[in-house]
Amino acid sequence: MSVASASTEKKRRGWFKEEFGDPERRTAYYMVLPSLLIIVIIAFFPILYGIVLSLTDSTIAGFGSFVGLENYTEMFQDPDFLEGLSNTVIFTVVSVALEFIIGLGIALAINRAFRGRGLVRAAVLVPWAFPTVIAAVMWRLMFQSQVGIIQYVASATDIISDPILSSRTLLLIAAILVDVWKTTPFMALLLLAGLQVIPGEVYEAARVDGANVTQRFFRITLPLLKGAILVALLFRTLDAYRVYDLFWVMSNRELQSLSTYVYEGVRISQLQFGPGNAASVFIFVTAFLIALFFIRVLGMRTSAEEE
Amino acid sequence: MASATTTGRTSGRGTLGTVLFYVFLVIFVLVSVFPLLWIFKMSIVSKTELFASPPTILPHTPTSAEYAQIFSDPAFQQALVNSTIISAVTTVICLFFGSLTAYAIARMRFRFKSPIMTLILAISFFPAVAIIAPLFIQYSQVGLINTYASVIITDTVFALPLTIWLLVAFFRELPVDLEDAAKVDGATTIQAFRKVIVPLAAPGVFTTAILTFIFAWNEFLFANTFLLDQATQPVTVAIPNFATVYTVDYGAQAAAAVVVTVPLVILVLIFQRRIVSGLTAGAVKG
Amino acid sequence: MTERNEGSGVFAGRKLNRRDFLKMGSAGLAGAALLGAAGCGGGSGGSGEIIFSYGPDTDGSIAKLIDKFNKQNKGGIQATHRQMPADTGQYYDKLRTEFQAASGDISVIGVDVIWPKQFAPQNWIIDLSDRFPASEQKKFIPSTIEVASYEDGVYAVPWVSCPDVGLLYYRKDLLEESGISGPPETWDELKEMALQVSEEAGIQNGFIFQGSNYEGGVCNALEYIWTHGGDVLDENNKVVIDSPEAAAGLATYASMVSSGAAPEAVANWTETESSANFYNEDSVFIRYWPSLYGGLGDPETTKLKPEQVGIVPIPTDKPGNPSYSTLGGWQMSINVNTEIEDDAWKFIQFMTSEQSQKTRTIINGGDPSREAVYDDPEAQKATPVIKLADTVLFDNGKSRPVTEYYGDMSLEMAEQFNSVLKGDVSPEEAVKALQESLSQIMEETQ
Repeated sequence: MSVASASTEKKRRGWFKEEFGDPERRTAYYMVLPSLLIIVIIAFFPILYGIVLSLTDSTIAGFGSFVGLENYTEMFQDPDFLEGLSNTVIFTVVSVALEFIIGLGIALAINRAFRGRGLVRAAVLVPWAFPTVIAAVMWRLMFQSQVGIIQYVASATDIISDPILSSRTLLLIAAILVDVWKTTPFMALLLLAGLQVIPGEVYEAARVDGANVTQRFFRITLPLLKGAILVALLFRTLDAYRVYDLFWVMSNRELQSLSTYVYEGVRISQLQFGPGNAASVFIFVTAFLIALFFIRVLGMRTSAEEE
Repeated sequence: MASATTTGRTSGRGTLGTVLFYVFLVIFVLVSVFPLLWIFKMSIVSKTELFASPPTILPHTPTSAEYAQIFSDPAFQQALVNSTIISAVTTVICLFFGSLTAYAIARMRFRFKSPIMTLILAISFFPAVAIIAPLFIQYSQVGLINTYASVIITDTVFALPLTIWLLVAFFRELPVDLEDAAKVDGATTIQAFRKVIVPLAAPGVFTTAILTFIFAWNEFLFANTFLLDQATQPVTVAIPNFATVYTVDYGAQAAAAVVVTVPLVILVLIFQRRIVSGLTAGAVKG
Repeated sequence: MTERNEGSGVFAGRKLNRRDFLKMGSAGLAGAALLGAAGCGGGSGGSGEIIFSYGPDTDGSIAKLIDKFNKQNKGGIQATHRQMPADTGQYYDKLRTEFQAASGDISVIGVDVIWPKQFAPQNWIIDLSDRFPASEQKKFIPSTIEVASYEDGVYAVPWVSCPDVGLLYYRKDLLEESGISGPPETWDELKEMALQVSEEAGIQNGFIFQGSNYEGGVCNALEYIWTHGGDVLDENNKVVIDSPEAAAGLATYASMVSSGAAPEAVANWTETESSANFYNEDSVFIRYWPSLYGGLGDPETTKLKPEQVGIVPIPTDKPGNPSYSTLGGWQMSINVNTEIEDDAWKFIQFMTSEQSQKTRTIINGGDPSREAVYDDPEAQKATPVIKLADTVLFDNGKSRPVTEYYGDMSLEMAEQFNSVLKGDVSPEEAVKALQESLSQIMEETQ
């Protein structure tokens, strides 16, 4: 971080004056301030408030009294919460893995000029353009037992005999499929951009050296793509982990995720406000840990290092 | 934007490879587009055909009754208006604050840039569901529940990282000494701004505006939590609830889904180059 | 935004002054205009208007009635309909928010029958006992008064449709063809006939109903529990669902699907799917609300004619045992925060009067709560179901176990009943689980 190292050359006492005394720098801070203020007020302050709430027996109507970790124990013993947790984890792992593999395959495949490339790119963007909620409504209509084409085909070919919308297992599989349909294109795009930055000469050199396709892929492509891969994976993982729209609308509240558990607790039921809040904090902490894992352990760079 | 030249590495695939490749592409395109086509078909058939078993592939009894119904439905019209207002205002506000911030980060020097960027980035990882309860309570206390403001403010916060990220990437592309060069040529600052910076930055800002608008348009969680009736609910909340007291109208839902999605799809298709370059610029250069 | 002096790289300051001034201006104007518009959504009634909240007025009967009231009340206070979400869950949410904000905007609230017993303990609606004495209450169907009562007071006046009860519809013509003499009286008979007739007539489904994991599913399952002699709460509001009778009822519920009389899909069907299936002539029997009858004979809805369909009470477990139907419907309450209580009452009196109920029944097809309207020939002609089903409407309606936290109870029951239907849990497990979870909830109430 060159800015920081440049500044540390100055005397310690001087930095405050340097930062805020210089009109140009002051302007910069003024310009950044509104965004920061909004973010802190609307996002971070409520999280603190949420943590406080989770330690009390408040309801939506009024502030309650301090009850320590009671809400958390209740939450961890609630079968709905555990179901939501397991669904969310399965959903996240499976859909991100599928999206990555398929997305990478697509990116590799279309990383060259061919006829109809524009059409393919357009087709790739169509699922992405859908509001998640609309996609959920659409797919629900297709899974529906009476008017749904997919249910019909699945029953007719004897793949599935149960109504898809009744079985929690099938619903989870369906949700994963819909998410893969919707988001793989986006993954593919990100990875494609990463691929296109790799200069062709590198491959030429490798081929001259006698490397075959597999070796070229694992020794050249993947390492050079690492940055883009990590960014894509992190965003998708956290997106999947927070899944709410898809589950709520497509399964008509039947399928539980961590986020739907929170929503049900704080907005639908009257007595589950406490565990709902505890779950909010749980999601926040675990999401933070996941991000930390990617950044520290997997070595993802945040885009701030640029001067 | 990465160029569209070939970087073909694997050569000599042969005819079989090419055929397989194109088959794969066709399947891929079909899978991407099929749901939209199917729902469109559902929206133009009569109610009885809708429930036909086995389902028909091509419409036997096409009708525009569903579209007539939803377009004359004041609730749907209101939902469209609500979505447009919320998305537009959110976009404007995001561009305003976001461009200030992005410009500062991209073009100016100051000490806490890195922590600030991290903080902003953290919002895109932020589980929004974690704050709906505290926000609901706070908004109730100031009487913002069931007003556009509650959703606009919250959407702005969550759209800002995207806006800032994109604008930073675009601003970084502008030549560093552009402003100074223009002034050396005798332009006043305002002229330099208008004639040099704006034209160059416009495409970036425009793309950012589109992506931010789409983000706000698609938002569901906050709208569902803070907006309680038809006067304020956007299409994302209204369409899944297309219901009378007794039944859900599948044909109308399908029609509404088509109406809401097709403009977005057209928008995305027209501006696909810009959008793709915008989305990937940050990822690659970051 | 102050102008900055020239300095190195301060182009930024100048440029953004101009740019963000323009943006600020437009954003500000837009924002202010919209916040202003959005802020006063709906307008405040205060003491100038009687605001009546209810779902969408799909047939215009509410508008018509309000028009009449306003004309009668010319020069005095006027009434208006504030449209609420069609989804009752959302409507309930909205009301809760208004109550918590102590808002007196809405004076007269159209309430679902399960709301008075939830709102009254919180003191959100007014006790109408002095305005609505027993002598007046007698003119209404008794079960509708029961749901409106809490402790010693009565908190709502029944309207239309109320009571909305579960009925068993059947294809008279198909039963005749199969040589069956009459409709079923017990659940076992229903199962047999459903299987037999659907096979002989080549119909897709024998018996269908609403078994999805939602309030409607609770309504359906409760009918089985009650007709087997079980219940959820006793007179003292003690949880008694863990009983052999209740388990037997749920066993019958599940057997509808496991025997093949009903398709597995009913476990995710609501009113939409089930009515569509019956109208499509794809089932022999259906359990549904009175509103189904109105669709018969309407060519846009179905090819079925009224003559082809008969109605009987919900079956029981043994012949001669009493039948029960879950009670639904709408009533009217007064918001405790209103400033115009007397005018609000005047409005309620008007809307629940014999004449008004008759008008709404004729236009809307809902069933009236005043017994007198049932004998009116015009009402009978326009809405035949009220005559056909009058015994059920009058005698068999039973209220759901509504208490302060019914919402949470309903969530638990809906899930357990749905699991039983899908075969995921046994009836015994379900009633045990419900005994525990419902008791916990009941402990929270006073």
